[in-house]
Amino acid sequence: MAVDAVPQPRPLSRSRLRQTVKFLLPLLALLVIWQASVALLGVNPRVFPDVPTVLSAGWKTILDGSLLTHAGASLLRVLVGTLLAIALAVPLGITMGVSKGISTFLAPPLRFFSVLAGIAWIPIATLWFGYGFGAITFVIFNAVFFVVTYNTLLGVSTIPMPLRHAAASLGTNRWQMLTQVLLPGALPNIVTGIRTGLGFAWRGLIAAEMIATNTGLGYMLFLARDFYRTEVIVFAMIVIGIIWLLLDRLLLAPLERRTIERWGMVQQS
Amino acid sequence: MKSVVLEQLSKTYFDPYRGSQVTAVRDLSLTIDEGDFVAVVGPSGCGKTTVLNMIAGFVPKTSGRILLSGTEVKGPGPDRGVVFQSFALFPWKTVRQNVAFGPKMRGVGKAERNRIADEYLAMAGLSHAADRYPSELSGGMQQRVGVVRALANNPDVLLMDEPFASVDAQTRMTLQEELTRIWEERRPTVVFITHDVAEAVFLANKVVVLAQGRLLAEVEVPLERPRSWDRLVQDETFKELSNRVLQLVRSA
Repeated sequence: MAVDAVPQPRPLSRSRLRQTVKFLLPLLALLVIWQASVALLGVNPRVFPDVPTVLSAGWKTILDGSLLTHAGASLLRVLVGTLLAIALAVPLGITMGVSKGISTFLAPPLRFFSVLAGIAWIPIATLWFGYGFGAITFVIFNAVFFVVTYNTLLGVSTIPMPLRHAAASLGTNRWQMLTQVLLPGALPNIVTGIRTGLGFAWRGLIAAEMIATNTGLGYMLFLARDFYRTEVIVFAMIVIGIIWLLLDRLLLAPLERRTIERWGMVQQS
Repeated sequence: MKSVVLEQLSKTYFDPYRGSQVTAVRDLSLTIDEGDFVAVVGPSGCGKTTVLNMIAGFVPKTSGRILLSGTEVKGPGPDRGVVFQSFALFPWKTVRQNVAFGPKMRGVGKAERNRIADEYLAMAGLSHAADRYPSELSGGMQQRVGVVRALANNPDVLLMDEPFASVDAQTRMTLQEELTRIWEERRPTVVFITHDVAEAVFLANKVVVLAQGRLLAEVEVPLERPRSWDRLVQDETFKELSNRVLQLVRSA
């Protein structure tokens, strides 16, 4: 019997470079259009500044350390809120995934709160935790927690039954079933949930920071408005967008791709 | 090795589509000796997969008894290795890790279980694919892994649920020949579910025909071993037995 051929994976570096260029080109075009239109139309810089003004304002915030302070505060809140949310959401989602009773009972409130998740929590969060770290981390937590719980549940319930049967007939106990089958089986969905949840969280963060704190990128944005510093507002908006793109494209998307593609999680009935 | 005895085994379940109770298996009594190779055939819906799932402990029986060398079955366990139609390999584990899974669950150390896995992979001609993930392999290779994963755990009984139904015809014949070779060497007790009459006769010592959840007939297969398709395609006894079983299945 001839040995079946094992397909070789294609080299990716070249197409990845091309994709990066394809991704950056429209953004560069946007910069050019921005600069050209501001210059040609003679827009009042209070309304919308030109590119060099924004860049030099941004450079100052880098030099005086304020950008680092604000961005650091924002990222720390996101990190803490997200980690807490994942730590609680994954066990809950798995519990729901293996117990029909618990999932029937908890699914309606889960749906209810996932609609509410985000900035709707800001007022009550400030009442509970006061202005600052606690309130904002709570908002982040909510944005991530419900999405990750739901996706974990989805991940566990879409693990094909034969996989769980196979594991049981190979001698797994309950703990091994959890760590060897349920958790890795649900991981692609969990990662997708984290990516989606962080997207919500990042948006919610900026809104919450405008209201409930005195550091962070959202606060930086809001403070600049009080001083009519349009160029700082625009710079902060650009930073907010860039940080998210970097997080998403360099960390979350590759993580998602790795878990899903590497494992070939195409369901086999 | 263990024997498998079914005593008046029945399974009824509620079918939400029909809105009524359905009897999948009805008063089935059957004895499979230690080290025997029994194939169970029958038209789809005859309850053959339900029987296997009950022996495996995946679904509860409604009444009757399932005895493994005298001990009643309660839930799944490593004494019964199962090979699935859908292969059911863990997609997040490499081929070697899949085969080493059973020993790992028993607490066998890493070096030892990898040695066991590599030995079985060599037996299946899969040494070159040990570090691959299942999705990178063809269907036939995946099912070879499925078979040796079950064998590597040293089960007393091997339960196979239409294991070769979703691989192409050429590969299927090779896999069938490999399976008879393995069985001849190691003599595990095998319960093999299939709807393919020729496959059942080719592999088994005894073919059991089910119809509507009942035992319709048991046909002994006195063909000599080792068996190969090259020889048996021409063999009169093989043709005659296949015909007999086919008539039984079609009359069901």
